[in-house]
Amino acid sequence: MFFIPFLVYALLAVYEFVPLYKEKLWSDLILNAVLWVLSFTIAILLSFNVSLTGPQDFIKEIISFILKVGNT
Amino acid sequence: MRKEHINDKEAICLLIIFILGTTLIIGIGSDVNNDKWITGIIGLILAIPIILIYSRLQSIFQGQDIFDILIMLFGNIGGRIISLIYVWYAFHLGSLVIRNFGEFVNVVALPETPMIVPMLLIGLVAVYAVKLGIEVLGRTCAYLFPILVIILVTVQFLGIPNMRFHHLKPILAEGISPLLKSGFTTFSFPFAETVLFLGVFFTLKTKKSPYKVYFSGVFLAGIIIIVITIRNILFLGELGSSMYFPTHVAVGRIAIGEFLQRIEVSVSFIYALSALIKCCICLFVSVQGLSKIFNLNDYRSIVLQTGLLMVFLAEILYDDIMSMVDWAMKVYPYYAFPFQVILPVGIWIIAEVKKKKINVEAENADKS
Repeated sequence: MFFIPFLVYALLAVYEFVPLYKEKLWSDLILNAVLWVLSFTIAILLSFNVSLTGPQDFIKEIISFILKVGNT
Repeated sequence: MRKEHINDKEAICLLIIFILGTTLIIGIGSDVNNDKWITGIIGLILAIPIILIYSRLQSIFQGQDIFDILIMLFGNIGGRIISLIYVWYAFHLGSLVIRNFGEFVNVVALPETPMIVPMLLIGLVAVYAVKLGIEVLGRTCAYLFPILVIILVTVQFLGIPNMRFHHLKPILAEGISPLLKSGFTTFSFPFAETVLFLGVFFTLKTKKSPYKVYFSGVFLAGIIIIVITIRNILFLGELGSSMYFPTHVAVGRIAIGEFLQRIEVSVSFIYALSALIKCCICLFVSVQGLSKIFNLNDYRSIVLQTGLLMVFLAEILYDDIMSMVDWAMKVYPYYAFPFQVILPVGIWIIAEVKKKKINVEAENADKS
């Protein structure tokens, strides 16, 4: 299954980056590339069944600490 | 980039469907059993002052979104930092909506299918819709809203034989305190989430529009939510509080003879539609904000990657459905409070103070 993200993201890179490069929209291209790398990394980690932690627990802990709520 | 416009009717439909969003799926209020409908009313009343503030902000800076306003009021650096906070809120809310939808599909329809599949599908449709622009979204909502109302009203009438009015009693059995707490939850989810429309209503045509749109939209959506909540209570009684998707279960009980049954499948269309629109708005505001922060040429260039990231965040948000409901009802109202109340009130106060100065500068710029 892990090869699917490689394939999809390679296609996405061509589909997204080439028009931006041709139009010389550098800031769009750079931000798009940064988001692409982030998204690709997470997709690969998920495809390898790596357990990732979301921000929920951290936010919950902070709110519980401040307001003493949400402890279940 | 062409400036997009939506009319008041489209904006109202967009706002109503956004508010109905995931509220239709997981319902409102917690810990108050058959008084949930009262929490709807409390939430709506609490929302009035904050909606006035949102409308006022949009009316002062007509034609500008929240990110333009922030950069104008707090300067290039400060404005961009606060904009980033709003981008995060929109992005996170979008992920929460996608996850709610994923859990819903996983529990009631496709338990064997990996949850990422429905989440990826709704995410990709949202990406496509946002790429088409806010005008398309507005028109879609204006066309679909009558269908949504027809389905809701029809289900309401079909359910009359199943209604047990004694389920409403006892009223206020748990006292006022849990009711107010639950009312606060209803205020923040879904009514005050309309803060995100400060990133959308720059597309409105007139200066008076924000007041009309915000008030009509929020009140109509509030009435729909209260009516649906009452129906759920009349159908399910206290049992509804122990269910993750009470509306779905309540509608599933409707059976007219043997020829009209299982209509919850048709009603699920509304859940999917409203979740999609809410997700689209969240994605639109996120990419709009990012494009303003990084001075992009067009927000459309980053929609796909942001949408995919939103889906991935939705995938890693919770361990199970219990943590989702726990977060939505107990933690979310406090988490969202700064985004929904503290920051907008602060921005509004500063906007009122700086308004004259900004107007004078604008007049000077026009003269020169």
